[in-house]
Amino acid sequence: MREAAAVSTPNPLQRIPGVAMVLVLLIALFSVIAPGFLSAANLSNVLVQSTILTMLALPMTLIIMTEGLDLSMGAVLTLTSLCVAVVSLATKSMLLGLGAGLLVGTAFGVANGWLVAIVGIPPFVATLGTLGMAQGLSLIVSDGQSVVGIPHSVRDIYSATLLGVPVPIVMALVTYAAFHGLLYHTRFGTYIFALGGNREALRYAGLSPNKLLIAVYAIGGAMAGIAGLLMTARMNSGHPTAGLGLEFDAIAAVAVGGTSFERGNGWLLGTLLGVLSVGVLRNGLNLISLPSSVQVASVGVLVIVALFLDGLRSRA
Amino acid sequence: MSGALPIEVTSPTPLLELRGISKEFPGVKALDDVSFAVYPGEVHMLLGENGAGKSTLMKVLCGAYSADAGEFYHEGKRVAISSTADAQKLGIAVIFQEFSLVPYLDITQNIFLGREPRGRIPGTIDRRKILADAKRVLGTIGFDIDHSTIVDKLGVAQQQMVEIAKAISQNARILVMDEPTAALSDRETELLFELIARLKADGVSIVYISHRMAEVFALGDRITVLRDGRRIDGVRPADVTPDQLVRMMVGRNIDMTYPRHFADKPGELLLEVKGLSSSTGISDINIEVRRGEIVGLCGLVGSGRSEVARAIFGADPVTSGEIIFDGKTISGEPDLAARRGIALIPESRKSEGLALLRSVSDNLVVSALRKLFPSGLFDQRAAQRTSDGLIRQLRIATPSVRQTVGLLSGGNQQKVVIGKWLAAGSKLFIFDEPTRGIDIGAKSEIFALIDRLVAEGAAALMISSEQIEICHVCDRAYVMREGRIAGHLTRHELTEENIVRLGMHHA
Repeated sequence: MREAAAVSTPNPLQRIPGVAMVLVLLIALFSVIAPGFLSAANLSNVLVQSTILTMLALPMTLIIMTEGLDLSMGAVLTLTSLCVAVVSLATKSMLLGLGAGLLVGTAFGVANGWLVAIVGIPPFVATLGTLGMAQGLSLIVSDGQSVVGIPHSVRDIYSATLLGVPVPIVMALVTYAAFHGLLYHTRFGTYIFALGGNREALRYAGLSPNKLLIAVYAIGGAMAGIAGLLMTARMNSGHPTAGLGLEFDAIAAVAVGGTSFERGNGWLLGTLLGVLSVGVLRNGLNLISLPSSVQVASVGVLVIVALFLDGLRSRA
Repeated sequence: MSGALPIEVTSPTPLLELRGISKEFPGVKALDDVSFAVYPGEVHMLLGENGAGKSTLMKVLCGAYSADAGEFYHEGKRVAISSTADAQKLGIAVIFQEFSLVPYLDITQNIFLGREPRGRIPGTIDRRKILADAKRVLGTIGFDIDHSTIVDKLGVAQQQMVEIAKAISQNARILVMDEPTAALSDRETELLFELIARLKADGVSIVYISHRMAEVFALGDRITVLRDGRRIDGVRPADVTPDQLVRMMVGRNIDMTYPRHFADKPGELLLEVKGLSSSTGISDINIEVRRGEIVGLCGLVGSGRSEVARAIFGADPVTSGEIIFDGKTISGEPDLAARRGIALIPESRKSEGLALLRSVSDNLVVSALRKLFPSGLFDQRAAQRTSDGLIRQLRIATPSVRQTVGLLSGGNQQKVVIGKWLAAGSKLFIFDEPTRGIDIGAKSEIFALIDRLVAEGAAALMISSEQIEICHVCDRAYVMREGRIAGHLTRHELTEENIVRLGMHHA
């Protein structure tokens, strides 16, 4: 059989993903209307502020590729951030704080995976349930108050630099590299495509889709734990609403980045560009002093515009 | 029956032998004391109507189901097949109709899914080895394609080749194929047959499930016929006629003379298509359909038959030309076409024709909501009355109007699709492969139904890849080739040979 697999068309629209166009348009827009947007300090600020979202949106990409969803990520991040704050406050140890955050986050991730894979609850409902649990636990742990007075070792993580690069950016880059390697260069990554694309294929290959699925959700929880440390460092406290709505931004970034919610079609670089689009948008709107309510609405508009552009592309 | 000795073969020891296999599901004895042997390098055809037990036997063979009773022998030695891993170790691979491919992985990754060669770093894949292996396997089966192509971009025939490559890469000695040509064009089928011949020459045995008589005789070395979970007979193609095989499959003499009463003179013009072109690649289509007629639309898969149907129904945008239905020019939306009286009975009835999880009644009234409930309020009793009438009229075998449609047999599902358009008062019925996946007994009933529809003043446009059906059922037929009408055949000219000649690509 010698037919060409796919007919390539010369239409340039088809080569540039919607998310790249969106990002360029946003940068161009704010360069003009937001004074100071293009300053080095502000651009660095955008990147640093995007790091937490990056650490959630990357695992969210994997979860969505399995035709799943994790609504609990923001609430779990709140809880892990509080755990980091409480434990590091008590032990004066950043590492023990991080350990606590990782443990709690991973536990929630495993619980999500177990509910979805073994119990068979639809991901939307299962993670909505754990969202509520994480939120409630956060209020119990914090008693509704901010946890203040955390040690410098935690706080410094957000402001320190490594070879001149802010540590949060280094962490986000390492995370991206790790996820890229995981998805595109390991057997596990190959199976993630199959979890969303054709679970039967995994079964016929003698693999257990359920175990793989639990692992994917567990990675999401663990990343919420690491991101929790960054959040505590950034706010210099543990706060019971720290991660409020972050799952929305994460899912938005994944969607903007061109990952499909069906059949295991995902793109990590797209997610990264999606995160930056969300970051640029929020930063730019901040600079022109629009309230945060407008920012939330505008992220919604961003999702629709990016998917609209993608739609144009596939039809072009 | 099961005790019958294997007929004489060249090799005395079967590669694989199943003895006295039984498998029961709640309420159904899917396999009842079935024995079955595969010899090295043979093509063994497995025949039977839907529900005869072919799929169950296949799943037992590949370890997806474990048999309740029975024994397996591999090259004469007793073995157990209780998991897919067991079957794989014995060199058994199955190519299912629904492929076991992952759409957004490339060909290489799909071939070696779950068996990736390990790289030096734990968890990683040895790229160089996997690529070399993929090239070798694709070379073995003569599949000339870039091994890094994403599977989602492949056509059905190419995906099937990937499936075969996957099986071959596992050193499969027995390849089980379930209706492999169902979705292939004639040319692709030819390539598949060439590949099967090559595999055979290499000593690979093939268990081949088919509903197409021509294939059974063209390919088969031996034939096993199943009916109601039992093995009816094992024969050689040279020793039987197609009619005899059909009788074995159905266990009774089926009137394969198609139930059609041709009208003496055609009725008034109902549909006139003039110079129709659409964005989906059909151009300058001219078609006429009169009341009381069944008009065939044939040609190879991909020649634009379904696209013509969709354009007439308004499902695809028309770029030029005219569609005149019942004296009025129509255009645009499926909704309008349906309201004017055009019904489309699509090829994939499960995804396009039915709401599988809803009841028979809900499905039957769905196209007639405006007509049945002009006030906009759903009237349970009116729906029930209409449904009961249609179930009787179409002889739909269902325990009740409340039955979930997805649980009915293929033939009865098809009747429900027809019924919903009857309820809507349709005058023109466009059938796209009306008998796909329907067993022989039900086929005959569907044709009788279409015959009755047109006798009562409706008309039908029928797309079918089964040329024999077109020849027996249609008043006349148009043959398509590469998006255009290649020719028109009157009833006297309608032969399989003429259809093939008009539909073939010029070399």
